[in-house]
Formats: sequence, C-alpha cells, structure tokens
Amino acid sequence: MYAIAIHGGAGAVPRAMLSEPREQRYRAGLETALDAGFALLERGGSSLDAVCAAVRILEDDPSFNAGHGAALTRDGAAELDAAIMDGRQLRAGAVASVRHVRNPIELARRVMEKSRHVLLVGAGAEEFALEENFVLVPNRYFRTLERQEQLECEQRGERVSDLIPSSQGTVGAVALDGDGNLAAATSTGGMTNKRPGRVGDSPIIGAGTYAKNGVCAVSATGHGEYFIRAVAAHHVCAAVEYRALSLQQAVHETLHEILAALGGDGGLIAVGTDGQIVMDFSTEGMFRGARESGGRREIAIY
Amino acid sequence: MSRPKLLALLCLAVAVAPALAIEPRPLAIAIHGGAGVIDPAKMTPERAASYRAGLAAALDAGYAILERGGSSLDAVTAAVRTLEDDPQFNAGRGAVLNHEGDAELDAAIMDGHGPRAGAVAGVRHVRNPVELARLVMEKSPHVLLVAEGAEEFALEQGMVLVPRGYFRTEARVRELDEARQTEALQLKATAPGATGTVGAVALDRAGHLAAATSTGGLTNKHRGRVGDSPIVGAGTYADDASCAVSGTGQGEFFIRQVVAYDVCALLQYRHLTLAQAVREVIQKLRASGGEGGVIAVDRSGNIALDFNSVGMFRGARDSAGKRDIAMYRDAQ
Repeated sequence: MYAIAIHGGAGAVPRAMLSEPREQRYRAGLETALDAGFALLERGGSSLDAVCAAVRILEDDPSFNAGHGAALTRDGAAELDAAIMDGRQLRAGAVASVRHVRNPIELARRVMEKSRHVLLVGAGAEEFALEENFVLVPNRYFRTLERQEQLECEQRGERVSDLIPSSQGTVGAVALDGDGNLAAATSTGGMTNKRPGRVGDSPIIGAGTYAKNGVCAVSATGHGEYFIRAVAAHHVCAAVEYRALSLQQAVHETLHEILAALGGDGGLIAVGTDGQIVMDFSTEGMFRGARESGGRREIAIY
Repeated sequence: MSRPKLLALLCLAVAVAPALAIEPRPLAIAIHGGAGVIDPAKMTPERAASYRAGLAAALDAGYAILERGGSSLDAVTAAVRTLEDDPQFNAGRGAVLNHEGDAELDAAIMDGHGPRAGAVAGVRHVRNPVELARLVMEKSPHVLLVAEGAEEFALEQGMVLVPRGYFRTEARVRELDEARQTEALQLKATAPGATGTVGAVALDRAGHLAAATSTGGLTNKHRGRVGDSPIVGAGTYADDASCAVSGTGQGEFFIRQVVAYDVCALLQYRHLTLAQAVREVIQKLRASGGEGGVIAVDRSGNIALDFNSVGMFRGARDSAGKRDIAMYRDAQ
C-alpha cells in the first residue's frame, strides 16, 4: 500500500470567477506534481523523495504561491518558507524568510540531512545554502507579473479577480511509501503584502507540517497565524494517537471545531499509516489531488 | 437611593458574599534559567549563590505581580525580562554568541486566554526580546516575525534598539573561543548556560495561564539557527483549558516532538496529571536522545518541573506558601 496527497492552497477563487483556461492550468499543475510523486512511490521510492518531488514541481509552477510565482511582501520581494518531516525518526528540516533559494523545500531537506538543526532563517539559511553548494538566484526570479499586480491591487485595497487569494495559497504533500514510512512537506510565499520577516505556519513543525510513523502525516494551508496557535498539524496526530479518533475525525475536529472557534480557516491534507487519505477544508475550495496504489486518482478544487 | 436600586445592591451583595467567603483562587509561577550540564564540581558556593539570587529576583518579581492581582501575562513577562537583563543567563544581555560572535535572540510568549501568541527569532538589537514578542502578539496580526523584519517592527513600535555589543559579555566571548577551537557546537559544552534558556509559566487570580521563553540559543551556532524557544508548541505553549509550559534543552528535539504542546495534549486528552504529563514528555525526550527540561503549571495551580539533564536552574512559588529555588536533582 502506498499513497500520496497534495495541495496547492485553500481559499480557492470563487467558482464563478475562475476562468476556464486558468482552471486548466491549475489542474495540469496539480496532476504533474501528483503523478511525479506517485511515480516515485510506484518504483519503490521513499515517501520523503515523493513529497519532495511533488512540492518542488509546485514550487516551479508559477500558478502556485511557492517558489517561482510566490506572493510578494509589502516591499515587493518574495520571502519563502518551507519544511519537510520524515516520520521515521521524527527528523525535520525547515527554512524561513529565504529570498534567493530556487527550491526552498530542497534547502529544508538539506537542513534536515546535513545540519544538526531543524530551522534556519533569513541570511543565515542562505549562508548554509551556499555552504551546501546551492546556486542562489536573484529575487526577481520569483516575481511574476501576476503577483506584482496582485500586490498592487492589495495595496490599493482591491480584491484580485481570479488568482488564488494569497493569504491561503501554499503548497504541500503527504505520502506513505511501501515500507510504511510517512513524510510531509510544505512550501509557501506567505501572504501577499505581508510584512517582511513574517513567518506563517508552513515552516513550523507541528503547525503546518508534521509526520510520525504509525500515526499520520499532515500538511496545512490557510491563515497561518491560527494554525500556529492551534498547533494544527500536530493536533491531528495527537487526536489520532491519544484519543484513537479516525484520521477523518481528527482532521474534521481540527478544522471545523478548533480552528473555527479561533476564527481561522484553511485546509488540511493527511495520510494515515494504513494509506487512508483525508483532504478537508473550511474555505470555499482547496486545490488538491490524491492518488494511491488501490487505483484512486483524483484532482479537485471545490 | 431609590428602592429598586437598593434592592439590586442587596441582591448583588447576597450573590457575591459566598464567593468572597471561599478560598481565593490559587496563584502560581515557575521559572527556569536553563537545563544542561552544570558540572556540580565547577559550581563554587559564590557562583551558586549568585545564580540563586538571579532566579529569586525573577521569581519574586513575577509573583509580586500575581499577588497584587496582575495578569499571568504580566508576571511571565516581568520574570523573563529580569532573567534577560541578568548576564548570568543565556538570554538578552549575556546571551551566548553565534559563530560570527553575535548574540542572535529568540523569544516567545503565549496567553492561554484566547489563546494568542507572539514570537521573534534571530533578532540582534532588541534589549528584551520577550517584550518584542509580546508586541507582536498585541500589536500585529502575526505570530512570528524574524530577523531584520522583526527589528523593523520593533522600530515601528517605538522600541529603542541597542548595539550588538550590549549583549556580549567577557564570559560568553571566552566560551565562544573555546567552542570554536573544539568546534563543539554541543550541549556537552563545559560552561553552565550553554543550553541555558530562560522561561516562566504562571497562573493568575482570574484563572488565566501564560508562558514565556527567551534564549540566545547555542554557543557557536550557525547564523540563522532557530531553536524551540520561539516556536509555539515546541518551547512555549499555554492554553487556559489545560496548562502553560516552557522548555529548555536541545531545541531540535523539542521542535520535532512538539514538546510544550504535547504536555497539554497529554493532560487534556489522556487525562494525566500535570506531573505525569511532564514526566512522560521528559521520558520521550530521553528515548529519542534529547536532553533538557520543562516547567509547567496547570489551571489548578499545580506546578511541575522536570528534566533529564544533570540540573536545571529553576524556581517555583505559589499562594499555598511554596517558594523553592533549585539547581540539581536533589532540589539543592
């Protein structure tokens, strides 16, 4: 049994506003990421490689708010956060506020595998990237015309037509591999017009990303500040582990009771130790995909 | 006074009187000044007395606020600020230095009422990082701000920044030199305070819980490294429904195991007592190879302080008359 689920952000564009060509692009992007991750699992690869590959593809796709095409800060720069967690020994790596790393998820993985640390931020994270022979890219690599327009609209106080509301766009993946290992990864540009230095839940282990073998793997997207306060991803795991809730119940409680009570909305994807996939959200939609060895393959927005 | 008003007052008096007659609600505060290898052989009586005095000053400053009806949030802020200003502890002035020789500071605060939280990481010019964390919580829509962006926010809030030299003490410069020589970016560092972090948890008269943690991290750390202290759920957590927790130790292990939140989850969902929950997370920490300690207080005013390192600088005080300051296992 193996399985993978991905998301490309919750808080989808109102259905009526999403143009056909743009919807096609989102769907195609999700499919590419989903199938790349699944292909790795199919040939015996690890869940860690699968979530990394899926997230890297979404980072490279300008339609999603991570890597190339990330949302911009109020100063017009991209500032990226990412985290990855290996459920085997609760190993984890994360980076926050990096401005010159093409694929933040790869740097997060490097932090996990080559440093004694879990979280590196800002210029220090980029220094580590250089030490690890990453080639840095100029910040303008991340900036797209659409995101610049979105920033200008937001700064004028206008709603952007059919782009993913950036406060909630984030990408992520969770997977279970044939050896029973779980992994989770999340990457984001954060909120459009955010204050430089603001870090959301994505790179926070326990909030936006968590994986524990024998329990579950979780990746979140949504209003990050609420997910941090609720320790959302870990809450799902704790509910499964300590209270024997089903994965579905645990995700439902976290989103619709705990986060709802705090006033935060968003979405969660999770995969259990038996390969069960749960994708749920409290927003109008969530860009998502799921595929497993039993034959299920779906891409959905609403 | 009109009759209806008099009647209303009388009713109020009758309603309030029994409440006044019962025991006042419990108050409690616990603090830590770091866990780790505090080699008892190197602890001279003078140094021990000095550490104890620092802990007592912070503990009593926090407790005084609770006693005059202040909030747990004010109490933990005051206790942590006192420890930040004390150069013996690894937070604020006297924080350990990173590989480049600078103090890079992290702090978090959480109000169990809400709950709401604020945190900063990688700041280098803020005298009291716990106060900036509190401003993030109270004056911004965010929870975590890092590095230059956090300092920009500090300036916008009217904080006066200090030069990096303010934080550097001779003792820390010496420690860094030793660490660079051995490249021992490790808990096993010789000097006390290498894993020192400071923190406080408290319960106030209104029944609200709060937690705060502040640190300079690890000696000779990689620039940009952030440990568990500013990570809500890892090093700091508070929820009025369960408990308030602050951790100290090998931060990477605390992050992976979401230690502070785990104490609350065990309390709330497994119905363990506070002491059992703290004991269990410390055991889990040991099983995974991590070292450190945790302080916690629950909504009934129970205090638990536990660690798997040689010692932990700590203090606890409550309205039942307890007032302890200790460093080693045998409560000395």
